Amino acid sequence: MNDIDRMLRTTPINRRSALGVLGLTGASAALAACAGGTSPAPSTEASAPASVAASTEPSAAASFEAESELLIYNWTDYISDKNLAEFKTRYGTDVTQDFFASNEEFITKVQAGGSGYDLGCPTAEYVQALIEAGIVQKLDHSRIPNLQYINPTFLNNAWDPNADYMIPKDYGTTGILYRTKLVPEPVTSWKDLYDLTIGKYSGKVVFVNSMGDVFPMPLKMLGYSVNDNDPAHLEEARKIFLDLAPHILALDSDTYDDKMTSGEALLVLGWTGPITDLKANPDTADTVYLVPTEGTIFWMDVWMMFADAPHPNASYAWLNFIHEPAIQAEETIANYYATANDEAKKLVPAEILNDPAVFPPDDVIASLEGSLDHSGVQQRADIWAEFASKIGG
Amino acid sequence: MTAPTIPASGVREMPRPRVGPKVDRLGLLVEGYFRAHTVLVYAFLYLPILVVVLFSFNANRQATVWLGFSTAWYGEAFRDVFVQKALLNSFIVAIPNAILATTFGTMAALGLQRVGRKTRSSYDSLTYISVIVPEITIALATLIFFASSFDVVNPILSALQGDPAKPFKLGFGHSTIIAAHVLFNTSLVLLIVRARLSGMDRTLVEASYDLFATPWRTFRQITFPQLLPAIVAGFLLAFTFSFDDYLITTFNSGPASSTLPLWIFGQLRKTVTPETNAVATMVLAFTLGMLFVGQWVLRRQSRRGGQEASMASIITEER
Amino acid sequence: MSARTTARSDTGGRAKSALLTGALLLPISVWYLLLLVVPLVMVAIFSFGRRAPNGGYVADFTLDNYARALGTIDPFLTSLSMAIGGTIGTLLVGLPLAYFMATRAGRWKGLLLLLLIIPFWTSFLIRTYSWLILLGQGGLAGFLADLTGGEFRILGTWSAVMVGLVYGYLPLMVFPIYVTLERMDRTLIEASKDLGAGRWASFRQVTLPIALPGLVTGSLLVFIPMMGEYVIPQILGYGRVFLMGNALYLDFVEFRNWPAGSAKAVMLIVIMLVAITFYLWFLNRGRRTREVSML
Repeated sequence: MNDIDRMLRTTPINRRSALGVLGLTGASAALAACAGGTSPAPSTEASAPASVAASTEPSAAASFEAESELLIYNWTDYISDKNLAEFKTRYGTDVTQDFFASNEEFITKVQAGGSGYDLGCPTAEYVQALIEAGIVQKLDHSRIPNLQYINPTFLNNAWDPNADYMIPKDYGTTGILYRTKLVPEPVTSWKDLYDLTIGKYSGKVVFVNSMGDVFPMPLKMLGYSVNDNDPAHLEEARKIFLDLAPHILALDSDTYDDKMTSGEALLVLGWTGPITDLKANPDTADTVYLVPTEGTIFWMDVWMMFADAPHPNASYAWLNFIHEPAIQAEETIANYYATANDEAKKLVPAEILNDPAVFPPDDVIASLEGSLDHSGVQQRADIWAEFASKIGG
Repeated sequence: MTAPTIPASGVREMPRPRVGPKVDRLGLLVEGYFRAHTVLVYAFLYLPILVVVLFSFNANRQATVWLGFSTAWYGEAFRDVFVQKALLNSFIVAIPNAILATTFGTMAALGLQRVGRKTRSSYDSLTYISVIVPEITIALATLIFFASSFDVVNPILSALQGDPAKPFKLGFGHSTIIAAHVLFNTSLVLLIVRARLSGMDRTLVEASYDLFATPWRTFRQITFPQLLPAIVAGFLLAFTFSFDDYLITTFNSGPASSTLPLWIFGQLRKTVTPETNAVATMVLAFTLGMLFVGQWVLRRQSRRGGQEASMASIITEER
Repeated sequence: MSARTTARSDTGGRAKSALLTGALLLPISVWYLLLLVVPLVMVAIFSFGRRAPNGGYVADFTLDNYARALGTIDPFLTSLSMAIGGTIGTLLVGLPLAYFMATRAGRWKGLLLLLLIIPFWTSFLIRTYSWLILLGQGGLAGFLADLTGGEFRILGTWSAVMVGLVYGYLPLMVFPIYVTLERMDRTLIEASKDLGAGRWASFRQVTLPIALPGLVTGSLLVFIPMMGEYVIPQILGYGRVFLMGNALYLDFVEFRNWPAGSAKAVMLIVIMLVAITFYLWFLNRGRRTREVSML
């Protein structure tokens, strides 16, 4: 646990996030100083629901009557159907989901004022911007007693140390996928990927089209933190990018699994999502996913509640429900992503538990870092735009 | 006709008249080319559609890699509440949008012929600007416009309503999507109708007014029939743009108003499964089915009426 | 021509006429004002601002964004050549089709029109993915590779992009040309032939002038959006070219730098508006066009 501790707590924070963290810490300290009230009632909370039974008992989450509808803005296919049905049976609430295709679209829309949802499910580093815009509702932990089951180092992470605004959903990593049958050379590190891309397998490598996921590669190769914004270091990363660009087949977040199947792509900087399907297909069953030795980022998808959520009772009911160990375990089975809930982990079948692509082993965890939102760093933006424009030569 | 020849023998002979029609070889070639070109273009258009239909029976989860035959995805589509809602929303948005855009665009096309050149140029510029603006830009700018408007209007609305349990608020949903689509589609219809209007002859219109017809009557009996192909074309295009739009819809939709493209693009980060193909095939089957049923019904009716007609002739001007 | 004065010679009639014109233009004016002018004014204001620390816009006055926008000359030129090529391709494919539909198809006109648009009611994404299958190693490229015995790649090249563009924009070219040609009276052609004109002369002096508004509209409706197109090149061209659309998407969505994106958008709009105005003026300077009210 020490390694996770180190990974999650000591991620170097830049000035912006330090401000954010301090701000959050200050707010939660102020809150703790208040007498333990029921609802924290931040100024951004919507009108109080009329059906709230003002209970002073923190554990009786079910004493609040859940509304008949819950609106979630989520990734596709990210909640188990069984759990949705179970929720409906218990609370009588219909869950309506709308789907977004990328974090960037989610945050762009929500930040600009697109609203009406109760819960959202983005990746952690993107929520910071929304918190500072007052769009995220502060969570009343007394209404989510099942938080106790969540591993504290995931719950109290660098993005939100007191879990005031977000609760972990699941987590994973960004790494290398490749066809072991077609690539006989050993591939264990970012450096290996680099060498093979500019060398033997030029034109057969695909990177996902996401700045936040690809930038860690050169930084880690150089031995820097993924959150390093030192101009000199970024310039070094730029050189690596420009070396790689002409040899990359495409920047593709969506069809790189098809490219692997067709043989056009032998090595991919990507995610674990397609791994199950690729392994199930006999033609590509030799595909493996690995976390490079230099380390990589781990991402965490989180539940957050919108400040103007129309159905706050149902929202709290959901947040508590989803972290019931059996329910959370079902999520892991359905989605094939790691859970941060220790009690739920006990209920996860062995073959998923032992899959290193899903639950990274301890020594790998030591090398993982959480990335902050760097979309505003001009130098990074320029480098990425330059890299994208030089793909394929 | 060749000139009469004077043979060496001195006897004048009439030229033999050509028997049969003149063989216009070049004409036949041109006609043949047009036919072949049309056939090829439609083959080109429907080849990917064939692939879409074929792969809806793909047993593999990856939509683009064939791995065997299966009808499971159709079952999946019937059970999938999200895709059904998305499809419904697509129609809820696209049809009103097409009706509004066609109406507004046609009205504007007629109106622009009655104004001075300067006014007309201003509207022309706006029309072209609405087509020029990159979609991501107008999508986000429209979003901000709506969000800001709601921030201003909603407090006023809730003040007017007292404080009921569920106050009526303006929010993102079907209306915002429709409003956003109507902008671009009105310009589209306007441009097409104006292309049709250009150079049109005013004689019949003047005759109509001479006979004391009201503007509405004139429109209905003179102008509208002449414009019909352009109006229909505009309607079809407006519907199609709305039905298939992603960017503007993504940023201007609200809870429970996701359309089919949003559902489909949402699948990108996971896997685009053949369920998408199944849904598309069903939409296709439905529309083609309606087309042919309509055609058949109209033929039966017209045959009863003793007059050969077809749906084609009803929606286009038959000469 | 009627010798009678129209009923609109009196002031009451003129006022009614103005009322009618106003009513006709009201809906589009409201839409243009609220959903075009206002948002674009906001975009223009953004273009002078700065990126807020967490993304978005913060009020400021700076010309930095425009200075940076000038650096996007390369994507602009790439988009320009793509749009020109794509428009020409769509024209070559679409014009004969529109001509056939309007003049030769007779009873089947409407059916052909509907059949042309129905494929676009399947999703854009799976249509484009179908091209991935058709042009990929499992399709045409693989077939040609087997034929020639070597390696053959179509996807990731300009050819694939062109196919995708022509496919996607064909209705926008065909519909306007069709609606203008369809109005053409065939007797004009016959008269022209009777007067001794050859096929080509008839086409040039009778058909073409009538079709011209449709050709212009079709070309503009295809060219303009192609300048901003980036999704088809991303999927079929593997994103191996960097276009204006890519630059704008990066600014607005990936970097959430609204001022930067707004400046690029404003520049694009201004350049294109000027170009199109000039193009239309150039086309119409010889023509004696007179707008007559059809109502």
